Amino acid sequence: MTLLELNNISVHYGRIQAIHDMSFTVEEGEIVSLIGANGAGKTTTMKTISGLLNPSAGSIKFMGEDITKMKAHIRVVQGISQAPEGRGIFPAMTVLENLDMGTFGRKDRTGVPEDLERVFTLFPRLKEREKQFGGTMSGGEQQMLAIGRALMSRPKLLLLDEPSMGLAPQFIRQIFKIVTEINGQGTTVLLVEQNANQALARAHRAFVLETGAITHSGTGKELLANPAIKEAYLGVG
Amino acid sequence: MSMTEGPRPLRTSKSEQQTEASEAVGRLPGTSADVPRRGGMGGWSDRWREMPRQKQWLILIPVVILAFFLPLMNIPFITTEPGNDWPLACQAMAIFALVAVGLNIVIGYAGLLDLGYIAFFAVGSYTAAMLTSPDSAFIKIPYLWTIPVAIAVSMFVGVLLGLPTLRLRGDYLAIVTLGFGEIVRILATLIPAMKGQPGFQNVGHPPGTGPDGIPVFANSNGTPWYWLTLGILIVLLFLVGNMERSRVGRAWIAIREDEDAAETMGVPTFKYKVWAFALGAGVGGMAGALMGGQVGFVNNQKFDVVTSILFVAAVVMGGSGNKVGAIVGGALVAYIPLRFTAIAEYKFLIFGIALILIMIYRPQGLIPAKQRLLAYGTKAYAAVRARFSGKGANPSGTGGTGTGGTGKSAPPAPKPNAEGATS
Ligand SMILES: Nc1ncnc2c1ncn2[C@@H]1O[C@H](COP(=O)(O)OP(=O)(O)O)[C@@H](O)[C@H]1O
Ligand SMILES: [Mg+2]
Repeated sequence: MTLLELNNISVHYGRIQAIHDMSFTVEEGEIVSLIGANGAGKTTTMKTISGLLNPSAGSIKFMGEDITKMKAHIRVVQGISQAPEGRGIFPAMTVLENLDMGTFGRKDRTGVPEDLERVFTLFPRLKEREKQFGGTMSGGEQQMLAIGRALMSRPKLLLLDEPSMGLAPQFIRQIFKIVTEINGQGTTVLLVEQNANQALARAHRAFVLETGAITHSGTGKELLANPAIKEAYLGVG
Repeated sequence: MSMTEGPRPLRTSKSEQQTEASEAVGRLPGTSADVPRRGGMGGWSDRWREMPRQKQWLILIPVVILAFFLPLMNIPFITTEPGNDWPLACQAMAIFALVAVGLNIVIGYAGLLDLGYIAFFAVGSYTAAMLTSPDSAFIKIPYLWTIPVAIAVSMFVGVLLGLPTLRLRGDYLAIVTLGFGEIVRILATLIPAMKGQPGFQNVGHPPGTGPDGIPVFANSNGTPWYWLTLGILIVLLFLVGNMERSRVGRAWIAIREDEDAAETMGVPTFKYKVWAFALGAGVGGMAGALMGGQVGFVNNQKFDVVTSILFVAAVVMGGSGNKVGAIVGGALVAYIPLRFTAIAEYKFLIFGIALILIMIYRPQGLIPAKQRLLAYGTKAYAAVRARFSGKGANPSGTGGTGTGGTGKSAPPAPKPNAEGATS
């Protein structure tokens, strides 16, 4: 089943057009990676899907329903959850309070303990630090918190915007491993990355974004093998 | 669109918040953060937070009693006399404290830098004046009734001004709000019924006449006015304290910390910002009505932008986000020029310098904003924990810690919501 569908989406910042006529789909159960250089429009795409930005043209469907005009805070309830670029945790709230905020839009309270257990199992570090203030945690821990918080709404589609940004190599590996694990538990993941190697290796399908438009698409393996992409994104000559 | 992407207010203090926060957790096991403690008040609020409720009451009650006796205690050096009548000075302090507590909802909790709060104060004053003064052509009602009316009217004005402006963020919002005060002032000049500079004399006051035939709430009789204002302030503190701990309070803090993140957590940020604005406006209007009644005269000369900035200074000085800090800040801003009459002329210079010094040495304000987490911190922790452990439906432990605190117990009815395809 097609979970998410972008049809001819354009996004403007004032007069600057950041996304040009973009279309792609995400199928239920997939990991889809969106790779691209700095400024390619990855974050803009993510914010458009989560509802923080409105497209100037085109439509977005989620589970077959048109959500183009739907407000961001309602999209969460529908099942789209975002771990934003730069983590966006609440620094003056504790880890537990941050996670609690993740349940803000939830209608069913009964599933909350179970989801907290799931997050703590994925990220034992968060359990150890549950009373610590978000702002005092390391970058990697904050990233875990951002992902964990996003999971607390029990999303159908998890949006991850550069989860590896600014992290030490061992954290990067761990985060990617956990992304696969989350996906294995049934959550569809749309992953935005500059770290193309890992993102492509983990993805079922992937798209390459250049200056606001998709230039390549295929399975993760296909793109990994594509010489043009190797040269531009994988640091292989 | 780029208008909505501006930097947010009070962001500068964020890194400080973090150091402050790390202070709070410095003692937790497994924490490597070793930030030097900033001593003083910080330790105080920690200790307060950890106190049992009964012990807090044991301290609170004498403090409240002392506060009620304040206008009767003409303590040398502290008193504002002979320059200014002491009970009236107490009333001015209480009014400013009220204003600061109200504005703290807007700035401290929701993070909306409102530089035009004076507008709501003015609306409240005019409401009281126009419904009680013989100079007004409107219907007259007893003065005490003008207080709820002033709250309602200024809340309405708050929503009216908030709806078109609260889509703006940070600096843009601050600049727009700067105009609010001017709008009210100019309207008061232009609309004949608001009587411009001549204004309204003999604004009403609560009933009651003393044995000497003089009204209890005479303009020059500060003590009863102070008691009335203090009573209202105490009730307000209870309401605000409960709000802090509620779902609304958490939403506000999330908005202040990161508006986009709050929105993507499911917080209808715009709605909650309008609420913060309206509730703040209501408190401001109430303070205005009290001020109008006590002074007995309302015209268009009293509500200037500079006073509005003074309100902001009170909140920031006391410790933005902290209601106790707001009271201290508000009281100080009123007290200092009344006490030190020789320097009263330079009060803006002095508060300017004081603000700069505080921002350098105590960026969280006199009483650190960390205390805002007092409500949300340890006690809420138990509540959160209790909620996570399944509301008693699931007998897994921490639910019975006493603070359980979540009034609304959503029935664990099975929701036919086809939850997550966790196969
Ligand atoms: N708030 C904004 N205002 C104006 N232009 C923006 C804004 N945010 C991003 N852009 C521009 O849109 C383009 C895409 O940015 P972004 O989506 O952040 O890229 P990426 O996430 O791929 O690095 C860039 O050219 C960037 O400069
Ligand atoms: Mg980006």
